[in-house]
Amino acid sequence: MFPFIVPDRRRNADPLFWSTVFSAGLVLATAVIFSSYLFWESLPVWDQGLWAFLTSVEWDPGEDVYGAGAMIYGSLIVTSLALLFALPFALCGAITASEFLSPRARLVFKGAMETMAGAPGVVYGLLGAAMLSLWVKDFFGLIDGSTLFTAGILLGIMILPTIMTLAEDAIHSVPGEYRDTALSLGLTPLQAFFKAVAPRALPGIIGAVLLGLGRALGETIAVMLVIGGLDIIPMGLDLFSPGQNIPSKLGREAAEAIGSGMHWNALIALGAILFTGTMMLTAAGSWLLRRRAV
Amino acid sequence: MNKRMLDRGLLGIIYLIALVGMIMMLAVLWEVVRRGWPALSLEFLLQPSSNFGAEGGLLYQTLGTIILMAAAVLIGFPIAVGSALFQTEYVRSEGVRAFFRAIIFSLNAVPTILFGLAGYLFFGVYLETGVSWLTGALILAIMILPTIQASIQSSIECLPEKYREVGMSLGMTPWALARRIVLPQCWHGAITGALLGLARAAGETAAIMFTAAAFSGATWPRSFADPVPTLQTHILVLAQDSADATSLTHAWGAALVLLAIVFFLILTSLVIRSRFSMEAQR
Repeated sequence: MFPFIVPDRRRNADPLFWSTVFSAGLVLATAVIFSSYLFWESLPVWDQGLWAFLTSVEWDPGEDVYGAGAMIYGSLIVTSLALLFALPFALCGAITASEFLSPRARLVFKGAMETMAGAPGVVYGLLGAAMLSLWVKDFFGLIDGSTLFTAGILLGIMILPTIMTLAEDAIHSVPGEYRDTALSLGLTPLQAFFKAVAPRALPGIIGAVLLGLGRALGETIAVMLVIGGLDIIPMGLDLFSPGQNIPSKLGREAAEAIGSGMHWNALIALGAILFTGTMMLTAAGSWLLRRRAV
Repeated sequence: MNKRMLDRGLLGIIYLIALVGMIMMLAVLWEVVRRGWPALSLEFLLQPSSNFGAEGGLLYQTLGTIILMAAAVLIGFPIAVGSALFQTEYVRSEGVRAFFRAIIFSLNAVPTILFGLAGYLFFGVYLETGVSWLTGALILAIMILPTIQASIQSSIECLPEKYREVGMSLGMTPWALARRIVLPQCWHGAITGALLGLARAAGETAAIMFTAAAFSGATWPRSFADPVPTLQTHILVLAQDSADATSLTHAWGAALVLLAIVFFLILTSLVIRSRFSMEAQR
């Protein structure tokens, strides 16, 4: 009946088999229920006009008016800032670790990066709220240090180890022959890297960046503490204005709206947008990372 | 000669930028240790907090974090083992395997706050568990499931094919194969997965802040319906109104304790993983 399962009749009498079927079914059901729930609960909001919801800036639960424009803008700005900030450090770190460190030093480096990548978001949030936002305030002479800029930089520091260790994997997985051949032709180690290794590793590096972006897009606590929490799109491209992104909006209002009403539907609709964005980034990223560089 | 010089210079710049990145991360650690250290003491760890976190210690917060993460792994671990075994031992179609892998990957990438939202409605409202540690543990269990499963699966996939072939040639059922060969050889993958899962659950705030955690007044849970205070939400609340100096010191102390728990779990898993992957290469 199920041709994809191992064709061994004895499996039917096997309790372990049935418990694994149960577990796998549970995982499948979770994924299906979860994603369909996000879109099902946001339907009432889509009915009022998808485009209007995506572009309108007005969000007023009292009047039942909901527009996601400010949150989407904030998410885009904060995520791009984080990327711009983290990328140079992450790439240089990855190159150094993969090409110019001894195997032992590389192992230590990787361990440190993987550990840092697991540091809780709330610790970064505390750093941001108690230190970074004060620095930003003093350095740029602002009234309040909670801005899109602060959130972007904090997020950049946060995703730095993730991107670095994934990009390092991508670079390191390029076979050694490429380096040896380039070196034997008289190229310097750095030329060998840029001419022979980097082109092979590029899809993987981009994949690493996309996965890091996916993480940045969904991070809630750290951003929530330093972004300022105002649903506005500042005039011009003012980075030093308070703003709002999707996760921080969800984090702030979920508790009061929970369970019912249009407010809740609108929050879930925001969640569905966030979900779609993260899924696209992650799918593209893991596809690129998985593709063997040959 | 000139080319060599240019090369050297460029390399120097790359090293420099990498170094700055490193220093930035060390600075993050250093600041947490430097500011958290003065708050730490035996009383701080063993006393309940009072006066909204400005006085007392972290006893129930630490307990709450441990209860939540342990319960999450207890719930999530058997399911992760089961579904990993299903995919590696019982599914033979490559397409179905890829499909399952994609699902695990997507679950892994879901922003945790969405688990909080959907999980609260499903468990808290439909199944009537309310704002309680049980709701939080169930949500965290779903959240860490992909972490645990990916770790088990990668260790099973590294099992040399001959082990399996020997088992089959002895006429073992897939059940016996899984129990006698795969699990004993791959248990380290399950252990590292469980440790990483614990670490992720301990560090998670967004998914539990409005589903399982209480700020003040709560102690250890007396029933399934009680919320617990946690280190994560404690830090969050103290950081939000970061005006009072003592409560801020307490927040740093809590951050240091949390960071120590998380790093200990991750480092242990890294050590186990590297020891066993080296053994496999031999």
